[in-house]
Amino acid sequence: MAITDAGILYGLLAVGAGLATGLAGIGAGMGEQGIGAAVVGVVAEEPGFLGKGLFLMLLPETLIIFGLAVSLILMFAWTPFAAILS
Amino acid sequence: MLRPVQMSRVVVAGSKDVIEPVVEKLHELRLLHLVNFSGSQNGFEMGKPIGKAKEYSEDLIKLRSMARYVDVKSKAPTVTFSESQVLSQKDDLINKVGADVNSTFERITEIEAEIKTKQDQAKALRPLAVLPLPLEAYYGYESLTVFVGAVKSAVDADVAKVSPKSEVFSGSTKTSNVVAVFVPADKASEVSSVLAEHGFTEISVPRLEGNVDSAISGLEASAKSLEAEKAPLQQKLKDIRKQYEDLILATDEYLSIQTQKTEAPLRFATTENAFVIDGWVPTNEFGKLKADIESAAGGHVDVEKLDDTEADNLAEAGEDIPTKMNNPGIVKPYELITRLYAIPEYKEFDPTLLIFIFFPVMFGMILGDIGYGVMTFFSVLLLKKKFRTDGWQQLCNIVLIASVWAVIFGAVFGEIFGPLGLWGKIMGHLPEHEIELLKETGGYFGEGVYGSLGRLGPGGVFPMDRLATNAVLMLIGISIFIGVLHCSVGSIFGIKTELNYGEKKHAYFERLPVLLFQVFFAVFLLGLVMGQMIMVYLGGIVLLVSIVMNVMGPEGPMGAAHVPFYVSNLISYLRLLAIGLASVGLAFAANQLAFNVIMPMLSGGANSPTIIATIAGLVVLFIVHFINMLLGILSPFMHPLRLHYVEMFTKFYSAHGGGVEYSPFGHVRRFLKA
Repeated sequence: MAITDAGILYGLLAVGAGLATGLAGIGAGMGEQGIGAAVVGVVAEEPGFLGKGLFLMLLPETLIIFGLAVSLILMFAWTPFAAILS
Repeated sequence: MLRPVQMSRVVVAGSKDVIEPVVEKLHELRLLHLVNFSGSQNGFEMGKPIGKAKEYSEDLIKLRSMARYVDVKSKAPTVTFSESQVLSQKDDLINKVGADVNSTFERITEIEAEIKTKQDQAKALRPLAVLPLPLEAYYGYESLTVFVGAVKSAVDADVAKVSPKSEVFSGSTKTSNVVAVFVPADKASEVSSVLAEHGFTEISVPRLEGNVDSAISGLEASAKSLEAEKAPLQQKLKDIRKQYEDLILATDEYLSIQTQKTEAPLRFATTENAFVIDGWVPTNEFGKLKADIESAAGGHVDVEKLDDTEADNLAEAGEDIPTKMNNPGIVKPYELITRLYAIPEYKEFDPTLLIFIFFPVMFGMILGDIGYGVMTFFSVLLLKKKFRTDGWQQLCNIVLIASVWAVIFGAVFGEIFGPLGLWGKIMGHLPEHEIELLKETGGYFGEGVYGSLGRLGPGGVFPMDRLATNAVLMLIGISIFIGVLHCSVGSIFGIKTELNYGEKKHAYFERLPVLLFQVFFAVFLLGLVMGQMIMVYLGGIVLLVSIVMNVMGPEGPMGAAHVPFYVSNLISYLRLLAIGLASVGLAFAANQLAFNVIMPMLSGGANSPTIIATIAGLVVLFIVHFINMLLGILSPFMHPLRLHYVEMFTKFYSAHGGGVEYSPFGHVRRFLKA
């Protein structure tokens, strides 16, 4: 079934954008929970490790930015998708 | 500024007769970073402590235990003492006052233990009040075993089954059923297993006499009287702290200095008649060190500087060259961020200056609000007055500089506590027909103006509303551009660092391709956006070249596996836009909620909001903005931190595992007069 209504297309894009950021956020959170717990453990023993621990903890955060990039493309650069309609 | 202070390797050798004046002078100068004698060279052995080292360290231990009992903590000095003052009062303080403190503290601990026992006993007794037995009935039998405790269900019948000769008393409190079971000693184990089936948990009955209630009140009364005895003792410790706090800290400092001096020879190499001290000194301070030590020892000492190749050989052999970071005052607070990650190695670049340049700009770009910026500035100023330790001061200075940038970006984005609110009221809006026109032509970047100046910048884009589509697209571009700049500077430093270590292959086939890839990836994208095919082709070709270079590099084909990482590095800079958008969104929502939802709703359709509606609106406004500001300080701090640690430092910093901080032999005098 072809989608022919611009409003519906735009709505679906918005849903897709939301899912992209939201699911990426959940993923990043799941990645960070283990690292965070481990880092807190290490820092309790060895406070000098804080910087490197922070580095490791912040690594999975890139994931959510990927999701966000996809969302931004969907929401703001959607002209190519609109071209499908015509 | 980008490199640590230049260091020279120094050897001080002299006769053992002058070891004391030399140590004294070295301690006073605070210039020489000692290299500990490893004890592996023939003909040399480790030195022995000089003077009364043992006595000083014993005193120090006594003093510190006393300081812990009266709870003395390090603080900013208010009075300073001369060494002779400390010397004359030291013995009195450590022996007389110390003994007093010890006995007082011991008594307090005893009292606390006693109170605890009494309270536990009272707690155990409380459920027994429901049983009709005096306390002496629970103990003192030879042929009987007594079980006292809480059960989940009635036990009488089951106990009678296994032990016909038995007596069970039971009663129930609000939360549990209490039983006291008296059985002949030979039936004890059977009864015990029966009770276990009924969920029996034992209550240990204290060996007291008389009625349960009166026993409880007796215990409580004696606990109270013990508390009354404890209070004046605690007050006494407080008084001692008040009286001796400064002296304790000064004596601690004096004893630490003495211990350091007397134990210094343990770090030297000695022969029968001579000693040798190895160490590093900032090159420009060498002259002073040489002159001062030689005059202190009356010429019986030789201070030599090793030449560079010899020093390099020692470093090759595993000796750490200490790093003394060299930054001007305004950049210095940012050393905190460098230090949190790692101390730079001597041959590496010190990234503090780069952090000073990029970090506040990134912070400002994310927060970007005049209102929040000013509030942050003043609240940090207050914090700075309150917390006077070095770490806090540095942290406060970092945020202080960054919040100035937040105000600057606030002016660019036209935001005072969120977009389109206060800004519009103070500076005014674009006329309605111009907004419509801009929206039609696709040049709409927001509707604020700079007062009578109108809109500024190329195409009149400023002040821009960050929530407008055009602004978002533009900020995506700017974020990526900052990313390319940030990463490129990192990569250039990476190439230079590898060359400093003499690793040409790593420099040209591992670091250089990253630089090429990221710069020309940006060119490639820019070409696509602007429709310039020449840029697209150029970018594409260089991208391929850089990937090939990577494959030729030290890691071989695995090097190409890093390529997605380079792209993700750049995309990561989108957070500069994204986190800002989140905080603008919340501020915008707060303003909308207060002025367009709550105030009209509570006013019940009146033209202007009623007083109650205004107050309710303002409370909501205040709360949401306050929360947003707290988040608005935290995340613009953490995310640029990440961009530095993950995206930039990985390009050049600390690949060789961090350095050793320059800590010269000596002691900073805080409570003692110099």
